[in-house]
Amino acid sequence: MVNPILLEVFKNRFSSISEEMGVALQRTSFSANIKERKDFSCAVFDKNGDLIAQAAHIPVHLGSMPMSVKYIIENVELEEGDMVILNDPFKGGTHLPDITIVAPVFYEGNLIFYVANRAHHSDVGGISAGSMPIAISIFQEGLIIPPLKLVKKGKIDKEILDFIKNNVRTPEEREGDFSAQINANNIGIKRLLELIEKYGVEEVKKYSSALLDYTEKIMKEFIKTLPDGTYSFTDYMEDDGIKNKDIKINVKIEIENDKAVVDFSDSDFQVEGSINAVKAITTSAVFYVFRSLIDEDIPTNAGCLRPIKIITKEGTVVDANFPAAVSAGNVETSQRIVDVLLGALSEALPDKIPAASQGTMNNITIGGTNLNTNKPFTYYETIGGGMGASAKNDGESAVQSHMTNTLNTPIEALEFEYPFLVEKYKIRKNSGGKGLKKGGDGIVRQYKFLTDVEVTVISERRKIPPYGLFGGTPAQTGKNYVMKSGKKLEKEGKFSEKLSKGDKLIIETPGGGGFGKSEI
Amino acid sequence: MVIIGVDTGGTFTDFIYKDGDKWGVFKTLSTPENPAKAVLHGLEQIAKDKPKNITHGSTVATNAVLERKGAKTAFITNKGFEDILYIGRQNRERLYDLNYRRNKPLADLFLGVDCRVNSNGEILKDLDENEVLKAVKILKESNIESVAISFLFSFLNPEHEKRVKELLEENGFENVSISSEVVPEFREFERSSTTVINAYVMPKMKNYILFLERNLSKEDKIKVMQSNGGVISTNLVKEQPVRTILSGPAGGAVGALKLGKLAGFEKLITFDMGGTSTDVSLIDGKLSITTESKIEGFPVKTPMIDIHTVGAGGGSIAYVDKGGALNVGPESAGANPGPICYGKGEKITVTDANLFLGRLIPEYFLGGKMKIYPFRVEPYMEKLANKLKLSPVQLAEGILEIANTKMEKALRVISVEKGYNPSEFILFSFGGAGGLHAAFLANMLGIKKVLVPQNPGILSAVGMLLSDIIKDYSLTVMLSEKNTSYESLEKLFKVLEEKALEDMKNEDIKSIKIEKYIDARYKGQSFELIVPFDKTYIENFKNEYKKKYSYALDREIEIVNIRIRAVGDTEKPEFKKYEYKGEKVKEEAILDEKTVVFEGKKYKTKIYDREKLETGNKIEGSSIIVEYSSTIVIPPFAKAYVDEYKNLIIEV
Repeated sequence: MVNPILLEVFKNRFSSISEEMGVALQRTSFSANIKERKDFSCAVFDKNGDLIAQAAHIPVHLGSMPMSVKYIIENVELEEGDMVILNDPFKGGTHLPDITIVAPVFYEGNLIFYVANRAHHSDVGGISAGSMPIAISIFQEGLIIPPLKLVKKGKIDKEILDFIKNNVRTPEEREGDFSAQINANNIGIKRLLELIEKYGVEEVKKYSSALLDYTEKIMKEFIKTLPDGTYSFTDYMEDDGIKNKDIKINVKIEIENDKAVVDFSDSDFQVEGSINAVKAITTSAVFYVFRSLIDEDIPTNAGCLRPIKIITKEGTVVDANFPAAVSAGNVETSQRIVDVLLGALSEALPDKIPAASQGTMNNITIGGTNLNTNKPFTYYETIGGGMGASAKNDGESAVQSHMTNTLNTPIEALEFEYPFLVEKYKIRKNSGGKGLKKGGDGIVRQYKFLTDVEVTVISERRKIPPYGLFGGTPAQTGKNYVMKSGKKLEKEGKFSEKLSKGDKLIIETPGGGGFGKSEI
Repeated sequence: MVIIGVDTGGTFTDFIYKDGDKWGVFKTLSTPENPAKAVLHGLEQIAKDKPKNITHGSTVATNAVLERKGAKTAFITNKGFEDILYIGRQNRERLYDLNYRRNKPLADLFLGVDCRVNSNGEILKDLDENEVLKAVKILKESNIESVAISFLFSFLNPEHEKRVKELLEENGFENVSISSEVVPEFREFERSSTTVINAYVMPKMKNYILFLERNLSKEDKIKVMQSNGGVISTNLVKEQPVRTILSGPAGGAVGALKLGKLAGFEKLITFDMGGTSTDVSLIDGKLSITTESKIEGFPVKTPMIDIHTVGAGGGSIAYVDKGGALNVGPESAGANPGPICYGKGEKITVTDANLFLGRLIPEYFLGGKMKIYPFRVEPYMEKLANKLKLSPVQLAEGILEIANTKMEKALRVISVEKGYNPSEFILFSFGGAGGLHAAFLANMLGIKKVLVPQNPGILSAVGMLLSDIIKDYSLTVMLSEKNTSYESLEKLFKVLEEKALEDMKNEDIKSIKIEKYIDARYKGQSFELIVPFDKTYIENFKNEYKKKYSYALDREIEIVNIRIRAVGDTEKPEFKKYEYKGEKVKEEAILDEKTVVFEGKKYKTKIYDREKLETGNKIEGSSIIVEYSSTIVIPPFAKAYVDEYKNLIIEV
């Protein structure tokens, strides 16, 4: 029998382990994305690859990390002391910059658990610096790493490491980040073994599975509160960076008693450009949305998804096949998948669900050569925007929403390290939608370059605004500009351009949608 | 001269004093509308007309922020960056909150001035004074009481901040805080946040100190406790009140450090369990300092004792959550309605569980002065136990186990997760509820000894009496290992050192010690470690890194900040040793014998009066020791003795 006291004790134990892994990874890493912006996740999995505990870092990794672990379980023979690295989106990854390292946890010769962490590296090769290019196939996006044993019986495989380093723009940084990721897994392993020593292996196994039942029970109770029925919503991606054509994403959510079926079958086929999402991303978006509907302190684990069936059609933009380009599927399409999920659920839960948030991550990649050190650099960041308003309150302004929660890089840290000046970083007033409750405002961020650079911007909601709900108006769309020799030019949502010393990049991010009809 | 430590708390204002050879303790109800009233009342009672040497821990700054009752504040920064306080780090504190809202910044007005310094400290755009004068007009029209100024890279070149300050002062603004003086370190949001907090609490703190000073006589001296574990003169507090912002728990940590040392222990983990929360910190020969604290979600960069807080205390409520697990806290029954046993509450708390198992003794609760109602607890306990299919005893022990798990988690964060092995430390337990749980926590963490000082309820006031004058100085230098050397860093330190020595001139101290530190990291990382600066500073960094993260790298090191801590040794009261009286406890110290439950079994347990225990006395588990403000449980697996300072040492 499951003891309600030990259940709570183990809930705390497992979450501390993933949190401790996260703290160590952030503090010892080198990529700006990891160390300053927390674009990483750490988690503990059971023997089947089911998520037991994940520290609250980045939602887009939620449903997708288990796929890495499951892929490895099926395809790699593991021994004690091994760690497997991968980024192949068609073999358990999401997009190439997200590199995952998985380690088995053995106790007395038996494999009991896995620990894993995934971090967004600032470059993994490919046709443009930062590895988030405007691309038409995955081969342009960077080095594809299938599951490989980077660590064998406790020793790093130098050959694999050298091979990876040889194919990326900032190899020293990669090596530093790998050490941080390996160390984080080692901490996880150590803590799990301590737990087993203390409570015994059977007890720990028993409660890891009881925790999944626990979360499942809570999720079922929640779904029961929703009125039975089918809820549907459609929204669009504006273009894929190659062809200027709307791409449909549709969801039908069928609620029946304590179960939900989430069906994306009616979404468009995969496209040439990089906005294709692999199924792992779609799963993450569903995980995030349903997780957000239950209380904050409930452990985030595989139990959340048990009462939910996700249906996608292979070869669509939400379940892309090899060799589709996928780098923006992770960061942009994931946001739209959340938008359609929330849009559909708003009918069932009008008091809780907000209007659309900015619906993009505004991915900025800047590459060039630092003239002081003569070394190449790559810089990547995402910019926050407005959150959608809800029946409860106005939407928050200038904040990361939904599938991302990365921190900004402090301007002073950025200017110490890179040859740019930030000239503006402020709230974009009146960009939120209007209504009974107002949508949050976006951000204006302006950079001036002190050397020649190549800039790649991948953004959405430049044409189709974030929607309002129940009579609230949509938000303002975002705007991208470059300023070349003093001339300001508006650019499309996705573009790549060489800029010269003195040129500027200006990004205005979308607001969030309004909620309810304004009384005036 | 009467030496007095005064600690303003939420409910009580505590005093400890030494008048000649005589020690005394005094408690009076706090007066939140003007905390000085309770302070002055106590001083009057203790040392009417005698000259006083007072050390004061004040919550004025803290409460101004928590209750949002600070000054009407303006924030001035570079044009284009007016919203940086609002935007913060652009993230949300709660990942899964679809209706997320941030705490609003403390400032009411945000102004941009068109000037700019770059990352080399060079001026790219100079200040336009006419623009500043226009800003002055707006400040006046908006009835601004206090101003915070923070420009990008002002730690490299403070010229613009200083000039704007001058212009504001010339125009009648008395409360102006500039970031290059408050905390000249990089990362604009955190520096600006600290400067705004300083501005926000400044007028209130100034008035408070002035009020106290007016009501004291000329011979009286008064110093104020800071969050870094040292005290400073009232003049500095008026200028930099942010240094007192989290000083509440600092007194306790200093008290633990000093009393621990006296008792022969240099490595301590402090454990302060109160009604709603528990504060823990680690002392490895000296206080752990952090520059990453927050108050109400706003970063505070000034150095503070690294104290970790968890929402578990005596009043934490037990409940069954939606998934069927038993959970405890963070909701607390507080003082009203309080635990069930206080007479009004209807939700089971940690205190009720302790009482139910016989570990709290009704007759001796607060010296028998407060009536508690054990019979009220039983029906609630039975009801919840039935729901969970447990026996009431299993439930009560379960509640304690869960509360202990949460507190253990906090203790692990400050020890294990930072590379320290708890078994090398002793647990220094204080606060009202600490003694009920300390031995169990020690057991969970492999800690061998627990120290409970005398008067554990007022350790904070004791700590204030024992504090040195401490002044912290820092500066961002951002130098790579290969572009600097011990000698050239020494030169940079010289500037801070001279400033420290100058500032110390006016303090009443016996001697000064200058401690030097650097904040360093591997080049390319974003988090620094604070390590001592001497000829082996590179090694110091590597060792510390290895200790903390269990591996080190062969990479270039970057020195981000230099840091000086000037410690002025003050006149402190001495503690005398008590005479050894033998192992046997005298009869009159044994109050009673009761039945207490441990791990489902009933144990005959003697109840001792702490006041009557003498040096050398030995006590076997299971036993319970009561004193006015706390109860100490010696479980069956532990034993205890009284040391020469009348500390109770529990051996686990």
